[in-house]
Order: sequence, then structure tokens, then C-alpha cells
Amino acid sequence: MAYAYLFKYIIIGDTGVGKSCLLLQFTDKRFQPVHDLTIGVEFGARMITIDGKQIKLQIWDTAGQEAFRSITRSYYRGAAGALLVYDITRRDTFNHLTTWLEDARQHSNSNMVIMLIGNKSDLESRREVKKEEGEAFAREHGLVFMETSAKTAANVEEAFINTAKEIYEKIQEGVFDINNEANGIKIGPQHSAAGGAGGAGGAGAGGAAGGGCC
Amino acid sequence: MPSSDSEDFESADEGQEENDKKVRKKRTSSSNYGDNALETISEPKETIKSSARHQTDSKPKSDGWDDFDIDCPIENEKVVENKEMKKCNVSKSKEDIKSQDTGWDDFDDWGNEETLIKTTEQKQQEVKSDKDIKELTDKLAASTVQSSSWGWGWGVDSLLSSATAGITSITSQVSQGISNVLETGIGAPDPEELARKNLKATAEVTEKHPDRNVNDDKEVVKEAAQTSSDDVSFPFGSLLSGVTKFVETTGTKVIAGGLDTLETIGKKTMEVLQDGDPGLAKKRAMLGLDPGEKPVLSQILREAKAKADEEDKIREEKREAKEVHYENLFDDFEGLVHLEALEMLSKQVSMRIEERLRAADPEKKQDIKETMQQVIELCEIPEDEDDEETSEDQSKPDAFHEKLQIATQDLGLKLQFQSLVKQYTDILDFLSSNDSMNEKVIYKRAVSSLAQATALSVEIYHKTAEMLLVKTRRSTADEADALTQMTVVLTKHISELATLFTVKLNSIASGNKDQINNYITNIFLESGNSSTYIQNAFQLTLPILQIGAV
Repeated sequence: MAYAYLFKYIIIGDTGVGKSCLLLQFTDKRFQPVHDLTIGVEFGARMITIDGKQIKLQIWDTAGQEAFRSITRSYYRGAAGALLVYDITRRDTFNHLTTWLEDARQHSNSNMVIMLIGNKSDLESRREVKKEEGEAFAREHGLVFMETSAKTAANVEEAFINTAKEIYEKIQEGVFDINNEANGIKIGPQHSAAGGAGGAGGAGAGGAAGGGCC
Repeated sequence: MPSSDSEDFESADEGQEENDKKVRKKRTSSSNYGDNALETISEPKETIKSSARHQTDSKPKSDGWDDFDIDCPIENEKVVENKEMKKCNVSKSKEDIKSQDTGWDDFDDWGNEETLIKTTEQKQQEVKSDKDIKELTDKLAASTVQSSSWGWGWGVDSLLSSATAGITSITSQVSQGISNVLETGIGAPDPEELARKNLKATAEVTEKHPDRNVNDDKEVVKEAAQTSSDDVSFPFGSLLSGVTKFVETTGTKVIAGGLDTLETIGKKTMEVLQDGDPGLAKKRAMLGLDPGEKPVLSQILREAKAKADEEDKIREEKREAKEVHYENLFDDFEGLVHLEALEMLSKQVSMRIEERLRAADPEKKQDIKETMQQVIELCEIPEDEDDEETSEDQSKPDAFHEKLQIATQDLGLKLQFQSLVKQYTDILDFLSSNDSMNEKVIYKRAVSSLAQATALSVEIYHKTAEMLLVKTRRSTADEADALTQMTVVLTKHISELATLFTVKLNSIASGNKDQINNYITNIFLESGNSSTYIQNAFQLTLPILQIGAV
């Protein structure tokens, strides 16, 4: 399908926090209570529209198991956005956030937009992590924060789309060099051919972006 | 174009006057002017009727007229208002009155020239007012006829109609509002007064442009252009008699505002039309509306349709080309992203191997290098061995599945081949169906199937690599052998698919042979492409095998 930009996302976080369910809810709008353990990485894609532009989100849903940690780390590179997910009903998943964040910061580019997500907000009765704690963590580390429920779909769209908006803004500001694919942004096929309206927009906003792509 | 309000009025009158002149010219040429005038006086009612008919006749020539008809009475009304109500505090009204006063001086001349019989009797004045109305409508009709006869009326009309179409909604709304005011709030003026005013107005402008009476072709054309912009000013006659009955002495301001708007709209329209092109010469040329080469509307429409069809066809072709574009399809089936992930993994592992090499003793280093070389040798694809026959009691997909499982049994991993097997089943179902298919459908399915099978294969390599990396006990030799065998099975599967589709294509009796041959060539090309992707994926897996051994 034709798109103006492609953003690469990664979803990271402890095993069982609902990463694959979030992806399934976002791409297929359905919820699957029992999910196979993710091996390495699985993919999902969806088209969204920001500022009248078609943007393809290519989401890399990584395995949360410790065994795959070394593998999944190699996938961080070239992501424009990351969803760092914890489970509000399991404090340990919240406690591991610092490690995940360090990992992400170390293996990805510094401009990557990170969204902190407290998932399973539908299970209020089993809540172990207060919303305020999530907010505080996000504030402290300069992340965007949101509580979601992959089951009820609450905030799922917002989580993915707000991240994309933030990335899009960074492109407009010239923070992201869209011609460097290591940033996790690719220009759509119709744009790369013509030099691109998107490319021109980016170049206009940030001088670094430059003119001719490819 | 004049811009001040007072001048606006003049220009409006001017338009009226110009038409007037044309009518006069016409009459003089036909040399029955006098009769006409007499006739008018003797049979005022009939002339009004005839004028009404004139107007109806002229209407179908252009939609624009209808709109102007609505505007015009209001225009005229305003002049009346200005004169009648001196208390009017709009500054420009004073100027109007002034100009009208000057008009009076010329009135006699004009009257002498125009009317043979002019009495001072009230009755006759009234008749004359009727006559004026008639004249105005006559003029309207005449000018329309005239412009048409000049061969350019079409152009103006069409330009106007398109322009007016845009403002119709505005003007109709405005004029509707105003006519409401007129009908309800404004008393009927003295007909005598009205008649005088009309004459005054016309006389005034006549005096201003005496030279325009020259019967010059160009001038006429130009005038006509202006007329069209100022059409606003004259068709009011026909409606005047009706509307004025309701006119009373209130609402001046509302009317003034509305009229200003109307005039501005009319002028703006003409400005747009004439923008940097007085006389609209260029625009008419552009539209092919010059006299002598009138365009045939149906031809224009035919050409437009042909052009649109052509564009549609090109767009459709592009869309279809995209639809059967192998790389796009491969991407859609997530083949590209799996390949990308596998590449990242492969690079990462290669770096780790190099690190180990650097850290190792010189002696160990040699060992590592040798082991790595051995792995590469193990992974060399064997030369075509004889095709082992599949047992007859097994379906093709099942045989394929079994081959894959046998090939990978030493890998020590639980690999999922279901999606590949299911795809194979679907393809066989598709090809064995008796539905008549054209070559294009088969070709599309062929390219899409090859892309999908390749994407699924690449995914298997990717998954295998990931699982091998987390495997606790490695047996590199077995793994290398298994993966090599798997590669053989997969590439054979690809060529099998290509063959199935080409056989099907060849079996089509009807159809374009050249096109079919073209498709067959493309299918084999894409199957070669697919094999290359699979081989690449296999090569990317090599470091993952090697790291298990060093």
C-alpha cells in the first residue's frame, strides 16, 4: 500500500504484560485471552493518517522472555518509536522498567520516542501499581505515559497514534533525519521516486534533512 | 473600472445607456424608428406585452440573464430612492442626484432626438413611462440578439453564466431579501417621476459618450463586453412596473447596502473575466470562441471524455502493475521485514564472532576459522540429485510437508510449516478448479503465490535463526545439514509452483499467445527471484550456525 512515511515501532517489556495483545488489538481490533509465547519478534502493520498523510506503522512485537533478551536487543536499532509496557497488576513488571529503559536507550537511536504503557487497566481490582507511580516514572525519564487495556481497547489506539504524532512532530522539527533509515523512518515509495512532498516538508523544517533522497 | 461608489452608479447607468444606443442605432438603420415611436405611444399596452415576449425570448440564451433580471430592478430602485428621498444620508446619493440634475439639461436634446412627439401632458408622461419600460426591455432583447449576431455573445454568455453561476446563490439571496423589503416597506413612486428619472439617466450617459455612436465593429464588441458586465442595469424595466407598486419610503440603507454588494459582485465578476485582458480577447481565443470558429460543444465534450478515458486507463494500468509487483507483494506478506530482522540478527552475530576471534589466541583463532569454513562447506547446496518419487497415496501438500519435516528433523527445533503447506493446498485448489480463468487472473495469482511462498520461507529462516540462538545445546553439523536440505526443498517448491502456473497458462486455448508467453517468462523470472531471496536468507543464517560451533 502507498504511504508517505513508514515508522518502525518496537514493543518491549516483561513477558506476559500484554505486548502481543496490544498489537493484536491495534492491528486487528480483537482480543485473544490466551496467546502463544512470542518467539524472537513478530510483526504487525497498520496504516494511520496524521496531518492528512498516510503513515504505515510497522510494529516489531518482541519476546519478553529473558532468554530472547539478547536477540530482541538487536532489533531495537532503527526504531522510531517504542512502547514500553508493564502490567499494572504485577509490580515486578513495573520494577523492571529501568532495565528495559536502559536497554532501549543503549541499543536504539537517542531520538526514539518512548511511550510508557501501564496495561490491563481493566483489572482495577488487582491493581498493584498506582497510576500516579506510572506518571511519576514517565515524568522522571521524559516519557509519554498512558494506561491501556488491550482487552477493552481503552487507550490502545491513542497509545500508538500519539506516539506516531510525536514522531511526526519531530520530523517536522527536523529532529529526525528522514533520509537516514537508522532512525526508523522510511519515505513511502511514491515519495522517494519524486523527491517527495514529505521529503520537502522535512527538509523545509530541518535543514539537515537535505533535498534528494536515495 | 471605477472604484468609488458614485462612479459605480455611473457605470451602471452607462451600461444601460450603451444598450440604449445600440437600440437606437439599430432602429436608425432599419429606418422605421419614427413609426416605432408612434406605435409605442398609440399602443403602449401591446408594446409592453411584446417587450415581455422579447425578454422571454432572450432568456434561454443564457442562464446568467435570469440572475441579472433579479438584480436589475433593485438597481433602478435605488436611483429612484435617492432622488425621491433627499433625506437619505448616504453621501453618494447626493452625487447621484447631482448627476441626475445635469441629466435634466440634456433631457430635452435627447428627447428631441429620441421621441418625435413629446408632450408635457401628464397622461402622456405616463404613457411614456410605459414606453420607457418597453424600450428598456426592447434594448435588452436587442442587445442579446445583437451580441449573438456578432458571434461572440456565446462567449460572453457562457463566461457570464459560469461566473454568475458562482454568484447566483449570493445574489439571489441578497436580492430576495431586498425585494422583500421593497415589497413590504417601500411605497410606489410616481410613475411620472420614474419616467423622468429613466430618461435623465440615459440622457446623461449619452452625452458623456457621444463618440460611441460611431458604428465601429470593435467598439461594438467592446461595448458588448461592458454591457454584459452592466447588464445588471437595464432589464429592470420589465420588473419595474410590477415591483414599484410596492415601493415605499423606508429601508434605504438596507437597499443601499444590498445594492452595493450586488454591484461589487457584478463588477468583480467582470474584473475577474477581464483580468489583464480588456475585451476578453485572449480568453475568448483560449476558449476558442472567436467569431468564425465557434466550437462545437459536443465535440469538446467528446474530446474531454476521450481524455478522461485515456487517463483512467493509464491509472488502471499503473494500479494493476503495482498489484502484480513482486517486491510489493513480498513486502505485503511480511517477507521483507522478516528478511530485515534476519539481517540484523545475522550482523549482530557476525560481530560477536569477530569479537571472539579478536579475543582468541592465535592458535585458537586458526581453529575457529577452520570451523567456520567447514560450516560454509557443509552448507553448500548439492548439485541436482535425482528427484525422489513421491508415494502415490499422498497428496502433494502432504508430501511437501513430510519432506520439510524430514529435512529439518535433525535441527532439534519445532518449526511451523503449516502456513506454507496450506498455501500450497490453496494454489492446487485454485489451479484445478474448472472455472474458466483468463490468463491475467492466473498470472496475478502466480506472482502473488510466489511472493507469498518466498515470504513464508524467509520467515522460517528468521524463526529458525532466532530459535537456534536460544538453543542450549548446539550441533552445528546437523543444523547445517538440515538447513541445507530445507533450502533444497524450498527452492524446489518454488520452481514447482512456477511450473504449475505456467502449465495452466499454456493450457489456455483462447487468449493472446504473445501475452501468455510474456506472462510465462515473467513467472520464471519471479521464481528465480524467489529462489534468490531464499538463498539469501539461508546465507544470512550461516553466522548463526557458525557461532554455535565456535
